[in-house]
Amino acid sequence: MRSKLIVVLAVLLSAGVGTSCREKLAAAKPDPLARAYDSEPDANDPQRVIPLNYQQAQGKRVFYQYCVWCHADATPAGPSNRSNLNPTPPLANDGTAFNPLSDDFLRNIITLGGSAVGKSALMPSWGKTLSQDDIDAVIAFYRAIAQPPYQAPAHPGPKYSVR
Amino acid sequence: MPAEELGKASRRMRLAFAISSVAFLVVLAVSPVRDYLRAWKRYERDYIRFAQSRPDTKQLLADNPFEIDQIWIPQMQVVDRCTTCHQGITQPTLEDSSVPQPFRAHPHIPHRVRDWGCVICHRGQGLATEVRDAHETTLAWEQPILPVRYIQASCGICHRSDLPQTPRLNRGRELLAALNCVGCHRLQGIERPAMLGPDLTNIAGKVSRAWLYKWLKDPRTITASDGSVVVNGYENEDEPRMPKFRLNENELRALSGYLSTLPTETPQPYRFDPRELAAWERKPDLVEQGETRFRQMFCTTCHSLAVTRAGETKLIGGDIGPELTKVGSKVKPDWLTAWLRNPQAYLPHAQMPRYQWSDQDLYVVTRYIESKLTDPTLLSDVPELQAPTAAESQLGQRLFLEKGCASCHVIKGVASQADYGPDLASLGSKTVSQLEFGNSRMARTLVSYIEAKITNPLSVNAAARMPQYSLTPNDLEAITSALLSMSGNPAQAGLGNLILPAQHPQFRPAGAFGELFERYKCYVCHRFNGFGGTLAPDLTFEGSRAQRKWMVDFLKNPQTLRPTLTFRMPQFNMTTEEATVLADYLSTVMQTPNMNLEGVNTKQFTPPMVSLGKQLYEVKYQCQSCHTIGSTGGYVGPNLSNVGNWMNPAWLEGWLKDPQSLVPEVIEPRRAFTDEERTALTAYLMTLKQNGPTRTTAAAGRGQ
Repeated sequence: MRSKLIVVLAVLLSAGVGTSCREKLAAAKPDPLARAYDSEPDANDPQRVIPLNYQQAQGKRVFYQYCVWCHADATPAGPSNRSNLNPTPPLANDGTAFNPLSDDFLRNIITLGGSAVGKSALMPSWGKTLSQDDIDAVIAFYRAIAQPPYQAPAHPGPKYSVR
Repeated sequence: MPAEELGKASRRMRLAFAISSVAFLVVLAVSPVRDYLRAWKRYERDYIRFAQSRPDTKQLLADNPFEIDQIWIPQMQVVDRCTTCHQGITQPTLEDSSVPQPFRAHPHIPHRVRDWGCVICHRGQGLATEVRDAHETTLAWEQPILPVRYIQASCGICHRSDLPQTPRLNRGRELLAALNCVGCHRLQGIERPAMLGPDLTNIAGKVSRAWLYKWLKDPRTITASDGSVVVNGYENEDEPRMPKFRLNENELRALSGYLSTLPTETPQPYRFDPRELAAWERKPDLVEQGETRFRQMFCTTCHSLAVTRAGETKLIGGDIGPELTKVGSKVKPDWLTAWLRNPQAYLPHAQMPRYQWSDQDLYVVTRYIESKLTDPTLLSDVPELQAPTAAESQLGQRLFLEKGCASCHVIKGVASQADYGPDLASLGSKTVSQLEFGNSRMARTLVSYIEAKITNPLSVNAAARMPQYSLTPNDLEAITSALLSMSGNPAQAGLGNLILPAQHPQFRPAGAFGELFERYKCYVCHRFNGFGGTLAPDLTFEGSRAQRKWMVDFLKNPQTLRPTLTFRMPQFNMTTEEATVLADYLSTVMQTPNMNLEGVNTKQFTPPMVSLGKQLYEVKYQCQSCHTIGSTGGYVGPNLSNVGNWMNPAWLEGWLKDPQSLVPEVIEPRRAFTDEERTALTAYLMTLKQNGPTRTTAAAGRGQ
């Protein structure tokens, strides 16, 4: 009788405590961070808005100050400089141009300029103007807005950081 | 007592003892069991499991204490235990959004979590070890977690000047200033300017009562369903300054009646020479000439006009001055002529420059505005208004004060109503119990209070005097962020020392230059030592950059330096003397101390240097991607065709070395030129000169 009582009480107790304490990890809820920082309209579908995380939002800021003049068809000041250039620079969201390029390659061409990696010298070097964080942020922004969408390589090579 | 009964009683006693001792045991067990099941311990166990599923387990668990983790910074009164559950917060490999919360790393920002703690920026209760206590408003703690979309507000608590990384906060501060919120409220970091709304003393000489009625009823005609603001039927990015005051028919009649019968001191209208006037009147293209002058003077740098192209109507032009599409149907002709001649005579603090007009220019431009920038149906929806009765005027006078109009507008003889609304300078640090929610059903938090108050002031307090603004969701977030950043002195005592105050630089030159500086309002577009507008180039170091002779020519006849910009320097029709005074001052005073203008002499440049420079420009560095020479090249940077006459060689060398040290955040990339390359490029650029007289636009406009 006594043991029965103990068992019953223990079961009740553990069940009660267990259910009250157990809170699900916040996986089901939409991520509140997703649109917290900034967003960018999808160039191909104006209805769709691409949410940007912190780093991507910083990249957007840098992009609209330094890069937009040649890598977009419309700029904050009006017409774009893109049509003046030969070869024509790819648009920022052109996934077919940027998706095949690795992060390291993009980091190099931004830091050292086009002529350093065998591309057109029309692309200047930004390594002394932008910080490494700025450059990484711009790459993150490009990856976020790429059309078709960018897929990170499944097996990144040995991690090499310039920082 | 019989033995049987005794035995029964003792059995009962035994049973009671047994139950109570079991109960006692259970009670004793509750506490260790509950302790074992604490949420933070569960997160610790989950984190270990999570870390074991990652390739860098060792790194992730390296400095994990497996107990309550606390960031303690005594000098800032920070005691934060958030890292007890948010264990991956400093792990760079956990930044990805696929990492489940609460283990995700903090984004890479300039402040390290270990040096600052969490609550300083994110709010909430740092000491708590339960999820709910830490994040939400509880009986013991009124400061809930700040929603991440408002996190830039926390940057603004210490950084009182704008940071490039906080666009939302900057936009909010800009809106608070642009919408004249300081008219009624005291705000942190925003000074009350000399003029908020126009002086209405002489309004009767400017507009009709019918126009006042329409404007008071709704300062915008339509607000589109998506919340975008439409002024006079044209889409505009910016909210008009004048908000909607929810006036009824009687009040509209009363206020418009009162304003239109104010005793005015209208000066004598300007009289043109009648003989010349008759000659101008005979010209068939009078209005077209006016339009040409209007365009040549670049009025659209500050004012916008609605332009319909391919069936789509858009506002084209600047937003420094008011939109002018229908201004011809708004203002009276005599007022317009007087205003254009001398805006400051009507409004002493007007930002409009005082142009040098020739009588003919003045006449044709006025005629253009009166005949082309009109809309005959503008006032068609206004009921017929008779001369206002005495009762109407009296009610209007009362309403003017009751609605707080005198907070922003001035009428001679009516006392100003500064601080008509509540003081909001420390709104961001208010706790829930300090806010008045009334009977509203909104969430009891500071954030929802501010949002509701701005969206619809009546939703919090049905008797609110605050007018109605219609902001887009983005602007609402921006304004809320800016208000949340106004926290007075931060609650954490140590933080007070860390505040980086906003700079309010002033530049008020005296003498002949000062007079012209005020007359032409240079500072509305240009910036001088941190003071002034940002529309046009910063002129702080203009004396180091430009040659004096070029400045004189440019001021008299501003050519196009950046062909793609919509906004150009207006044609002020300056005299040579005025241009000389301005150029003399700029070239002697506005210089950078870090540059010796005599240090680079063009005589030392040799032809081989020039040809090397040309080659570097065209081949190695391909400067033509952004700069135009002649007719080829890009137009991100200025046109360099005449740079040899324009810039000082020392400036060019300094610029090529480090452009951002001369103009912060300028687009020109800083390149790794060698000294030889830099000299060669300077030598080449100094050979680029355009000679020959340039046809002045002023002469072109007069058709001479």
